[in-house]
Amino acid sequence: MSYQVNGHTIEHDEEGYITNLSDWSKELADEIAKTENIEMNDEHWEVVNFLREYYDEYQIAPAVRVLIKAIKKSMGPDKGNNKYMYELFPYGPAKQACKIAGLPKPTGCV
Amino acid sequence: MTNVAITTLLNQTDSDIAAYLEACVHCGECAEACQFYESTRDPKYTPTFKLAPLVKAYKRHKAPLRGIKKIFGLVPDEVTEDELREWEPLIYDSCTMCGRCTLVCPMGIDIAGTIRKVREGYAAADIVPDGLKQARVNVEKTSSPMGVTPKALLAQIKHQEEDTGLKIPVDVQGADYLALFSSHEIMASPEIIGAYARIFAKAGLSWTISTEAYEATNVGVQIGSGPLAAKLVQRVVDEAERLGVKYVISPECGHAYGAIRWAGPNLIGRTFDFEVLHIIELLDRLRRDGLIPAGKKDERRLTLHDPCQIVRRGGLLKEPRRLMDDACSNFVEMPGAGIANLCCGGGGGVSANQRAEELRTKAFGVKLDQIEKLGGVDAVVIPCANCRGVFEDGLFDLDRELEVIGLGELVAETLADDPPKAAE
Repeated sequence: MSYQVNGHTIEHDEEGYITNLSDWSKELADEIAKTENIEMNDEHWEVVNFLREYYDEYQIAPAVRVLIKAIKKSMGPDKGNNKYMYELFPYGPAKQACKIAGLPKPTGCV
Repeated sequence: MTNVAITTLLNQTDSDIAAYLEACVHCGECAEACQFYESTRDPKYTPTFKLAPLVKAYKRHKAPLRGIKKIFGLVPDEVTEDELREWEPLIYDSCTMCGRCTLVCPMGIDIAGTIRKVREGYAAADIVPDGLKQARVNVEKTSSPMGVTPKALLAQIKHQEEDTGLKIPVDVQGADYLALFSSHEIMASPEIIGAYARIFAKAGLSWTISTEAYEATNVGVQIGSGPLAAKLVQRVVDEAERLGVKYVISPECGHAYGAIRWAGPNLIGRTFDFEVLHIIELLDRLRRDGLIPAGKKDERRLTLHDPCQIVRRGGLLKEPRRLMDDACSNFVEMPGAGIANLCCGGGGGVSANQRAEELRTKAFGVKLDQIEKLGGVDAVVIPCANCRGVFEDGLFDLDRELEVIGLGELVAETLADDPPKAAE
């Protein structure tokens, strides 16, 4: 179970999350996005870059509710809402965006 | 695996549980009280039916006259692993332990509390939903089901200090109050930390947040593991006693309150050296002591949701209403508000269980109908972060708009401008 980028082999788990977070690169993100059937544009990158910074600050891969609230706080309600985020990442904004950003699988709420 | 489950179930069957199982008259009142039954009309969601694995084990191993009944073939077979697995969604997905069934039972059976006991058997055999398993792994690493570390907490505290211009006390030895939060609050609505800072500054309280014990939620209670629940309570007790606080504040989270306030001393086997207060209880007390006078009211049409573990199971019925009356001029009660109010549909670990999503949305639909009957509600005030999350998800799934706000935040926003004198 691995992605191939520029001749490098990058391991991932059974759900596609990379196992070594420092393996991440922009090229890898494009590669992961392809497997998720997502064509990366500026809006996708904005969320992915946000998540990389978020993870750096909090060491948490946020679940969808937490992610959307954090986006709302940072980018405003036009982007920090379910509709916008699900349009970008139809199979789950947190799961798909975290995967592309090279973060662990997001953790839910109790 | 099956043996561990059965042994644990039998060990949970004390005289109370045995009396409950003997007392059931199969009247079906509990079904009508259950939102999972009400929203599906499927008889398998009858609360007492969910207890079947326990009932079976009890009849075979513990019930009176079982020896004689056995001779006549009147004792059920041993519970099998297949049966345990078949019942798992009934135990975890279709019960929030909201306690409406308990409330209506004419025989006085605490059905919700008995489900909690059945979960002990399941947790011991590790037959539990993936979402709760993951939460347990995170809790074992960080004490937080979401994996919130002190680094994340401190980052959020710093942002709140910037937003409020107030110093937020951390790890202060000898403070009077130790504030706990749920992971969901820390990460999804950190404004509540700033709201506490504003309210407590006004009241002149000596308080602190601890980097050792900040997490209020208790996945042990939800998954049904007494030992894990005890460990999580102990962590808070140790830190509160080390800091020498007089009070521990349980936040706007349902099960967290029950875990530390009601189950806590029994779980760790002794009383605490401090008092546990729910934040709503504390705010009401500060208000009545004149320390946080109310100011300009919110004029929108607001209603109040009663989180099950805080109101029905926790007893805080009047406190949130007094705070609502002070905070808003157009407060309307839901039909059936108070002790019998409907659940959000996602308590008791159901919101952490992805498998339960569809069922949870159905149960939430019943809740939403209740609110929509009021007509023209601008926002619903919900003193539980988990309920708020369930509302937000459910509103999205059902394609409805309704603002959801916390009670602590509402109180902070409607404080009087002139600060009173600090408490002596």
